[in-house]
Amino acid sequence: MSRALGVGLLAGAVAFCWWEGGLHQDQTAAHWSVLAVIGATLLATVLAGAGRQPEPVGRWARGPFPLRRHLAEDRAGTLGAALWVLVVAAVVGWDLNSFVHQAHDLPTLSSIFGHVTSSRAGRAGLFALWLALGATLALGWRRSRGRA
Amino acid sequence: MSAGAVVWVVLGAAALLWGTVSSVGRELPGPIAALRWFARSWLGRALALCAWGGAGWHLFCQRP
Repeated sequence: MSRALGVGLLAGAVAFCWWEGGLHQDQTAAHWSVLAVIGATLLATVLAGAGRQPEPVGRWARGPFPLRRHLAEDRAGTLGAALWVLVVAAVVGWDLNSFVHQAHDLPTLSSIFGHVTSSRAGRAGLFALWLALGATLALGWRRSRGRA
Repeated sequence: MSAGAVVWVVLGAAALLWGTVSSVGRELPGPIAALRWFARSWLGRALALCAWGGAGWHLFCQRP
């Protein structure tokens, strides 16, 4: 990608995020812009990535299960991954607990993010992070074309 | 600050601390490694993109 195209794309993305930051969750334009981003990201995933995954599904899905072998080969890495699972499970579990109780002193993760998205800069910044994450998930870590 | 908010602060601090430590330590899987693991197969990538899309729709179009 040429430098000029990269700068143009970046400027367009920044302008788009700032425009989106000025919208409200109830607005039709907000709904269509989010749906358009999701659609474009899924399309890019298929177009850019067909046949370029590093690993077949079966091997990927079985990957985490031989725990003893992982512990023997990479103890620190395995325990580190387990700690990530614990942190994510704690966040999901506490969010579910807060959601089920619907109490004022038990804020959900959604309501916390609501404080961020209530301002234009906060909504635009969070939208930019969301765009970057989607682009990374759609296009990142692909096997080069032509490699077996 | 409510009791629920305190739990969120503790969880956020734990995630931030572990994210920083695991990003610095070469032997530990950081947040990028977690994303990379999902992107290794089309199923993992599809699952992660579904979660990403659902989160975006909720945050920018539904959140009360």
